[in-house]
Amino acid sequence: MTDGADEEAGMDPQQASVIMQEARDRARRALVVRRPVLLAVWGAAWLVSDGAIWLSVRGQRPYNGPTPAALATLTLVIAAAAVFAAIYIGRAGSGVGGLSVLQRRVLLLSYLGGYVALFTLEAALDHAGASRAVLAVYGAAAPILLVALTVAASAAVFLDWSLLGLGLWLLAVAAGSGFAGPVTVWAVSALAGGGALLVMAVIGLWPNRS
Amino acid sequence: MSTDGLDPVIHGPARLRIMVTLVTLREGDDLSFTRLQDLLGLTPGNLITHLRKLEDAGYVTTVKSGAGVTARTSVSLTRDGRVALDRYTTALRQLLDAAAPPPPAPP
Repeated sequence: MTDGADEEAGMDPQQASVIMQEARDRARRALVVRRPVLLAVWGAAWLVSDGAIWLSVRGQRPYNGPTPAALATLTLVIAAAAVFAAIYIGRAGSGVGGLSVLQRRVLLLSYLGGYVALFTLEAALDHAGASRAVLAVYGAAAPILLVALTVAASAAVFLDWSLLGLGLWLLAVAAGSGFAGPVTVWAVSALAGGGALLVMAVIGLWPNRS
Repeated sequence: MSTDGLDPVIHGPARLRIMVTLVTLREGDDLSFTRLQDLLGLTPGNLITHLRKLEDAGYVTTVKSGAGVTARTSVSLTRDGRVALDRYTTALRQLLDAAAPPPPAPP
């Protein structure tokens, strides 16, 4: 802890510049959520989880669905990414209040509500007699659509064009991936969805970009 | 080196660090007193003293909410505070540029 005596000592412009730089670096490290970090974690989780599903269903004719091991991998990987994101955002957001916290909560609530709606609709399709193949296409593509819309909404909230670009790309992936069929749709989702997040993370982590 | 042109309210190590820390937040956000204290490593009394000076100048606002264990004091930079820090940064850069040695003359 420091006392107030240093305030009376005065400082020259050079010292002030150093203090500013140190304080800025420290505050950014402590308070700012680095989006590339979150994109990297979610991109890797997406790539691994949908990749695992694809590996378990490739070659299936007719389509029978993923193995329990692949579904367990998906669940564990997504859960791990969610825990990491919660801890990372929670640490940076500790003590921070105001508008951005409210915006983040609204986005999270919309996203979680969207997932409940997706699963409910999937159950309704199953109840209506949809085949495993149709359910697979829906199960792979619908979450991409939800992520795409959430990312696009985030672009509006944070006024970020790169997020809008990512959102539009994911909308195109969601719309087009279904045509790949119930097996290949998982590979398309893993590569074009998770891969896109990883590319954005790399771009953001590039020196002097974030 | 002269410090003419630098806002004396901001031009102190602790107050400068307070201002720079708060400007890191997005506009409309605030920071709890305890987290700010933790980040800066100041004693509560010292932080209160500096915040009062900044508040008197209209550069920060402190808001107390809740009571008992839920009591929270939040600190945020005002619009005037952001403008003042911008001006301070510009003035500081000009002073540093003026003090820098001139580039070597071409042969």
